[in-house]
Amino acid sequence: MKPYDIVIIGGGAGGVAALKSAYDESLRILLIERDKTLGGILKQCIHNGFGLHHYKEELTGPEYAERGIREIEGLGADVLVDTTVMDVNKENGRFSINVINTDKGAFTLESKAVILSSGCYERTSGAIQLPGDRPAGIMPAGSAQRYLNIDGYLVGRKVFILGSGDIGLIMARRMRLEGADVLGVAELMPHSNGLTRNIVQCLHDFDIPLYLSHTVTDIRGESVLEGITISEVDEQFNAIEGSEKHFEVDTLLLSVGLIPDIGMFDSLKFDISPKTNGAIVDHTYQTSIEGLFACGNALHVHDLVDFVTEEATKAGKQAKDYILKNKKRSHNTIDLTPKGNISYLLPQKLDMGDAFEEVTVSFRTTTNAMTGKFHVYQGDTLLFTKKAKFIVPAEMEKLTIKRDQLINKDPINIEFEVINV
Amino acid sequence: MTYDFLIIGGGITGAAIARELTKYEAKTILLEKENDAGNHATSANSAIIHSGHDPMPGSLKALLNVEGNKLYDVLEEELDIPLFKNGAFMVAHNDEEEKVLEKYLGRAKENGVPGVKILDAKTARQLEPNLVDSVSKVLSLPTTKVTYPWEVAIAMIENAMDNGLVFAKKKEVNIIYREDNVFTVKTRDGSTYKSRYVINAAGAYAARVAALSEEAVPYRITPRKGEYFVLDRRVQGFLSRTLYPTPSEKGKGILMVPQYHGNILIGPNSVYQDSPDDVSTSKAGLSSVKAGAELLTKNIPYHKNIRTFAGVRASSTHGDFYIRESLQKENFIHVAGIDSPGLSAAPAIGRYVVEAIIMKKESLKPNEAFNPIRKHVKLFDDMSESEKEEAFKMDNRYGNLVCKCERITEGDIVRHIQRNVPGDTIKGVKKRSRAGAGLCQGGYCEHQVMKLIARELGKDVTEVDYFSNHSNILKEETKVKK
Repeated sequence: MKPYDIVIIGGGAGGVAALKSAYDESLRILLIERDKTLGGILKQCIHNGFGLHHYKEELTGPEYAERGIREIEGLGADVLVDTTVMDVNKENGRFSINVINTDKGAFTLESKAVILSSGCYERTSGAIQLPGDRPAGIMPAGSAQRYLNIDGYLVGRKVFILGSGDIGLIMARRMRLEGADVLGVAELMPHSNGLTRNIVQCLHDFDIPLYLSHTVTDIRGESVLEGITISEVDEQFNAIEGSEKHFEVDTLLLSVGLIPDIGMFDSLKFDISPKTNGAIVDHTYQTSIEGLFACGNALHVHDLVDFVTEEATKAGKQAKDYILKNKKRSHNTIDLTPKGNISYLLPQKLDMGDAFEEVTVSFRTTTNAMTGKFHVYQGDTLLFTKKAKFIVPAEMEKLTIKRDQLINKDPINIEFEVINV
Repeated sequence: MTYDFLIIGGGITGAAIARELTKYEAKTILLEKENDAGNHATSANSAIIHSGHDPMPGSLKALLNVEGNKLYDVLEEELDIPLFKNGAFMVAHNDEEEKVLEKYLGRAKENGVPGVKILDAKTARQLEPNLVDSVSKVLSLPTTKVTYPWEVAIAMIENAMDNGLVFAKKKEVNIIYREDNVFTVKTRDGSTYKSRYVINAAGAYAARVAALSEEAVPYRITPRKGEYFVLDRRVQGFLSRTLYPTPSEKGKGILMVPQYHGNILIGPNSVYQDSPDDVSTSKAGLSSVKAGAELLTKNIPYHKNIRTFAGVRASSTHGDFYIRESLQKENFIHVAGIDSPGLSAAPAIGRYVVEAIIMKKESLKPNEAFNPIRKHVKLFDDMSESEKEEAFKMDNRYGNLVCKCERITEGDIVRHIQRNVPGDTIKGVKKRSRAGAGLCQGGYCEHQVMKLIARELGKDVTEVDYFSNHSNILKEETKVKK
């Protein structure tokens, strides 16, 4: 079988946008999706609030997905749905992609480039070492969302939510609308991990309490969940004795983080950032393996799908150029690293052999601030400062660095200075 | 009808006794109170087949551990069970602990454990590079193995069923009495069974069951909880052998145990408690596990932790295994106090119960038709290329990957649902096939597994249990007219 030029793994918002921008009549492109239809996680996000940046209008998740899918319909690209990637390898400059489906069983495809847009998965109760019993009734919020919005089943009637990630907030409202009692949301950090608009629209509007600096310290229930205890935590996240509150619930939803889903890369190892749990990429979205690109939630977890589309569009374009212009990566790179009050940034490298004019850096802060400043350094030299307002860790920040602002080969650092909390 | 033997408890011990009895012409029934075999201690332990270095010489534990260890090699042949022959090191850090190694070297030899020797730190570190720097010597225990405990229990029951065993689950025994040399055993759901013998293999509940039959139960169960971390199978290579610290008065201590499928278990601590049902974990308990593991290896990849759990050891006030006929009720056989090395000893316990106790009283004829062979359900991912092609041609459901973390297909899961002892709960499927046992812990596949169980067994999805009885995940359908 003739090799593909580009294979895109994952047909959610990222994969669809990557396909659109990577597409060229002269290229053989394949998009692989494990579900029966394209659209990814958007299909179960039936609430609105999507597309304000990208489409300049407010859409539901399925509507946003549908727009993207329509934009790639009729392009000449191959799409394989109901097909799962088992493993990816690279030999002699070619990727071999082991896939499986019910049409052909297990088989192998070849490609010159791969774009990884396989999304993310939810951190589990085991990963956060949730203490107490392990009965039925504890699950990631996204699983409950799927059961409710796709399958049409309610997982419980008395609900508590651990973690104030956006899915947790959305599910607080969704379960409430479905008639369940939602008794509260506990967040370990002193600030919410969700978008401000979700705190307002999903919790405040429904009188659902948010317990900041609280976590679940006990779970009771031999067979099914019967109750939980939450406690306030100190600055070292240790439970404060005497602060316990008990809730009788049959459901505990977890919204305690999302992790890039790159588990299909058991054999082909690329450099992973311990901060994002996704690949380390240069400004072309290329990983440490040449020809392997990454974008969307498989690269780092985004708060808005609009930004996934934007990033995947860039990654797709870079993959197209990589093939069409036969671009080789240089070893002439400059590192970008986070400094004070920045949790992570992306891309982590600039490939100076590439003729770029400017690069957009995405990053998250570690703290809240009403006003502050982002300082961009190269080595010890301050390149420039950008003022910022209403900064929260849950919302991704961006700034642009122009190539002609760079003064040498030293690493670039970004620092966040809090002016007003 | 009257059974010859009624066994209470479908854990590894009851399973081993049941299989041993089907080697003879006898009518045997095994009752399990849960909705699956091996749901308690059998599913929550270190999975080690110990060499037999630890029990006191002359004890039943020593005898049955060493014999059981050898019998696992036979079971591997007969029942096609997973067996990881990785050996173990007991590590010492100083002169005092080296003396403890010498003591266990002597004890192991006395118990008849083959191949044991003391290695210097350099040799040990060449074999296990992640050992902590302070390790000064190790006791090598090459016959130590690791298995997949619940699969062994289920395999034994399935093979026994092929040879005539009746296995009934969701049968919690609440009444036992003996009249005219026959026991009447009643269960909470209203069933009644008659049997000439009752064999009590109820694990942590053994004293409660015994108390149904006799007034002065000669032991108490003192449940002892142990907590564990489970690291993802992608840590494979970090450690090959099971690591023990030098034992203290409290027991074997915190271990690190590479599992058959690549995961590493770290634990258990040892917490006495009143309830045999309390398998909760605690922050303090898990911290003590971490502290213990610091004596074994450095740079433990806890960021690959996918789960924590706890199990309860069915320790008894008797100390040694308590395996004998009741002194008060004839033909009632106690198999109690089966804590560590219970898993290791289980196949030998089965033999001991039949050969050393029952055969002294009965002259059972061998079951000429007994077939010791059972084949495990081979997973698609474990098949060769040609086997995969063949399997897919027969059933294209092998092409539907359900669990992406552990690479388990619909074809695999359907076969585990259809087994003799069916995987008919979410955890039942996980235990058998490993669907849901990976990084995302079922976040991706749980709903698919649920639907497959419902489809294959003709149930509604709201009737599919997560683990124990009445633990259905879905409570009600939302878009129906009421």
